[in-house]
Amino acid sequence: MLTATADTVEQSPVSAVHAPVELTDVTKRYGRRRRGVPALDRVSLSFGAGSFTAVLGVSGSGKSTLLQCAAGLERPSAGTVRLCGTDLAGLSQRRQAVLRRQRVGFVFQDLNLLPELTVEENIALPLRLDHRRAGRADIELAAARVGLGGGQLRRRPAELSGGQQQRVAIARALITRPEVIFADEPTGALDPHTAVGVLRLLREAADGTTVVIVTHDPQVTRFCDRAVFLHDGRVDRVLPDPEPAVVARVLHELGERS
Amino acid sequence: MRGWMLAGVRRSPGPLIGTVVASAAAAALTVAALSVAIADTSAPAGRLAGASVVVAGDTSLHVTVGHGDDARQSLPLPAYRGLSAGLAGQLARVPGVAAATGESGFPGGVVRPGDVDLVAVTAKPGVSPGVLAGRIRAALSSAGHGGRGYTIATGPARGDVADLTAAVERSDGQVLGAALIPPIVTISLFVLAATTGLAVSLRRRRFALLRTVGATRGQVRRAILAELAVCGVAGGALGWLPGVALGGLGVHALAAHQMLPADSAAWRSPWLLLVACGVSVIVAVLSGQIAARRAGRTSPAQALRETVAEGTWPSPVRILLGLGAAGGAGTLMAFTFGQKSAAGQLALALPLLLTCMVAVALLGPVLVAFAAWLARPARAVGGPSARLALAAISAQPRRTASAVIPVALAVALVGSVYFADASIAHATAAQAGSTVTADRVISGPGLDAGALRQVRALPGVRAAAGVAPVSVAATDPDLEPVYGEAVSDGPLNRVLDLGVTSGRLGALRPGQIAVSALEAAPGAMGVHVGSRLTVYLPDGTPYRATVSALYTRSLASGDVLIPASAVDGHTGAAPGFAQVLVSGGTAGGLAALAAGHPGWHVASRSVANAAAERAAAQDGFANNLILGLVAALAAVALVNTLAVATVERRRALRLLGRVGASRGQVAAAFGWHALFVTVTGLVAGAAAGAVTLVAVTKAATGSWVPFIPLAPAAGLVLGVGALVAGAVMIPFYAMSRREPALAAG
Repeated sequence: MLTATADTVEQSPVSAVHAPVELTDVTKRYGRRRRGVPALDRVSLSFGAGSFTAVLGVSGSGKSTLLQCAAGLERPSAGTVRLCGTDLAGLSQRRQAVLRRQRVGFVFQDLNLLPELTVEENIALPLRLDHRRAGRADIELAAARVGLGGGQLRRRPAELSGGQQQRVAIARALITRPEVIFADEPTGALDPHTAVGVLRLLREAADGTTVVIVTHDPQVTRFCDRAVFLHDGRVDRVLPDPEPAVVARVLHELGERS
Repeated sequence: MRGWMLAGVRRSPGPLIGTVVASAAAAALTVAALSVAIADTSAPAGRLAGASVVVAGDTSLHVTVGHGDDARQSLPLPAYRGLSAGLAGQLARVPGVAAATGESGFPGGVVRPGDVDLVAVTAKPGVSPGVLAGRIRAALSSAGHGGRGYTIATGPARGDVADLTAAVERSDGQVLGAALIPPIVTISLFVLAATTGLAVSLRRRRFALLRTVGATRGQVRRAILAELAVCGVAGGALGWLPGVALGGLGVHALAAHQMLPADSAAWRSPWLLLVACGVSVIVAVLSGQIAARRAGRTSPAQALRETVAEGTWPSPVRILLGLGAAGGAGTLMAFTFGQKSAAGQLALALPLLLTCMVAVALLGPVLVAFAAWLARPARAVGGPSARLALAAISAQPRRTASAVIPVALAVALVGSVYFADASIAHATAAQAGSTVTADRVISGPGLDAGALRQVRALPGVRAAAGVAPVSVAATDPDLEPVYGEAVSDGPLNRVLDLGVTSGRLGALRPGQIAVSALEAAPGAMGVHVGSRLTVYLPDGTPYRATVSALYTRSLASGDVLIPASAVDGHTGAAPGFAQVLVSGGTAGGLAALAAGHPGWHVASRSVANAAAERAAAQDGFANNLILGLVAALAAVALVNTLAVATVERRRALRLLGRVGASRGQVAAAFGWHALFVTVTGLVAGAAAGAVTLVAVTKAATGSWVPFIPLAPAAGLVLGVGALVAGAVMIPFYAMSRREPALAAG
């Protein structure tokens, strides 16, 4: 009984109290430019369970830095990041890596797939890194959810189109049934039509998962519950249920200001 | 083994080919050296083939040096100790012996009347040689001969008794083979560290992605090391047979230079495959430790950023380590020059060279940045292409450094080994020319004491002395062969100018010895004039003498001078001189005398340095062998790294094509890059090698100034330049042909 209680005490506040991603007063400065403008300046944001948020801003606004700090890829200069209920500052590099492969998925603009691995090996990579068996059925299911057929599983990424590669990346991000998916310009290298397809897929496949997408493309917000605008490392405004046209206007304004 | 770890090796091995090639080279060279070190060097039994057991006086010298476990040292003797002829009769009475006969006339045999070189014993039918040898040993020790040692040989060991030079040569060649292994492994580590470092840094994106999707630092590190281990196995398998072939050639060449017995055969065994793989795996994995650690430690975000612009400046830790190595090299240099003995200085030469190379390797990026700053004026001369090349270099000094470092290491290694050898040879020749002050030199057979008397009796002859090369054993402080001359009692100072620094070298009487300053130094023999010294003659007889003079010109005439009368009968050859040095006299008188003695040859001033020449020839051959190996490894590393680095610039090439650069312009930019790499590498390598070169030259010749002949120096520069140009421009043209965007012209 005692053990069970202890487990409950440890776990329940995690899901009950905290959102999967929480940033509190996060500041990030790079390298020697300690005196200059920080890439992130006291940003506080919360991404609730199952939410689908776009983080937007012009180049240099700090949106990629926000994603890297939130995902534990980068250590903030100040402030607290809680990912899946755990304060990242208290985790060793190793524990952070384990947390990433067990509970977080990633999709990037490019540089998503290991070129020497086949599609199915790329999808199974987080499981393999976690010393778990990657069942054939699980992989096929994950691939099917993003619309990849059996014939493509044994191919190498270089043999696929850009849109297909992003689907593989999404399948890989989903294979561990993560709590959070971070996507950095996932449609940046795709034509508008393919981009919409990929986003729709992400929205449907990631149902129930917290998704944070960093982008400068207003069209992405069509699928989002919320749009967060960054400017000079600070949160400029937050729009619930954003309309692409409104988002485009805001981005234009931000662009004029800088 | 998990599939994801090794997929890179299996499916896109491109960047790892360099690692495979370099580890194959390391494996081949190690296998070759090992197969020489444990070559089958049993000499043929020859005349003794019919004997079951051969008995000779102990063919090795045993001396107790100092105290402790290694105090008892042994050395094979070049001459027989000799046995009394009566021993044969004694051995004939041992049960099981069919016949025992004393035998003489072997090379290195005794010339004392009544003695024999050895006793050949044949067994009665049914008595095995091993059993008979045991009985003979028992009989000899019970007969009260226990105090004198015997060599009792059966089977293949008889060959060593039949040919004493076999044991001496074997130890020369095998010691060389064994001594080569550590430098080969060390240099391979250097070579591979540069190659693997580049191969890993080129694939940082991949490792960054692995980290992002949840690989721990350890997993990334292990993945890299696993790849390197696989490359090592492949390299070992590739290097195995070439190594076996090279070992065979090496044994052949060493035998041709009297550094191995004539019929030696390289060690050939399937185990060598295991050795090859083992060595190359260890070398590959060790060389990748730093790169793997760095790849694992980089935070994923940093690595993802660095894909755009790789870290421009080396880490402070690397700079600190580099400065530490430079400081260490300076300290070591001071320590080396502070060493009193030449042997001590020579022993520190390799560590000194390696430390200098480590310093250059670590500080490479800083050197590149500095060189790029110095090269700025070239922008005005070279136009847009030079500007482009310099911009690429200054933007990524670390990547450029990975190309410069192998060039510098190649220059430092090859330059210091070659020019040290050249400096010693040059100093030897120079000393030889000034050592002999006699007017004429007679050489030929039968130059004995009687001949010397005849020469001295010729009209006008002011002085004449005979010299003969001799090899003795001495403790300096370990038991080692020391080459020198046996000299007649004549007035040596009137035919030779050996640069006597203390004592007198008029006549050397029995009980006296003269020693070179290098050999007399503390740390070597540690003697001065008046010291008592024991050296061991070729047949093992101790010669106890008082040091009567120290001299400096020892490169040509050897390190000890001993009176011929003390040596006669102990060299395994008839008493006599190799040369008689004559002051005064007339050409006609000498020619008339020579006419009566077939084979005599009268020459004007030359030098009696047969022994030194033989030693120098051996050293030269050994040095050339080492040089060849070092040059091969260095060339592999250089071509490897540069070719990989050039291929990696494909993206820049494509981009240049798109913005309208012509093929010629891009080729010029790559050419400027190659020129920069060559010049920077040459300068850095020359600086690193010069320190060691000066240290070795000072130790071996006593001079601070190394001898650097122009032609080989130019050859080194041109060779390095050609290798760099080939390694950069051949991949460039191969790539540019596949880039249609490049405008013609």
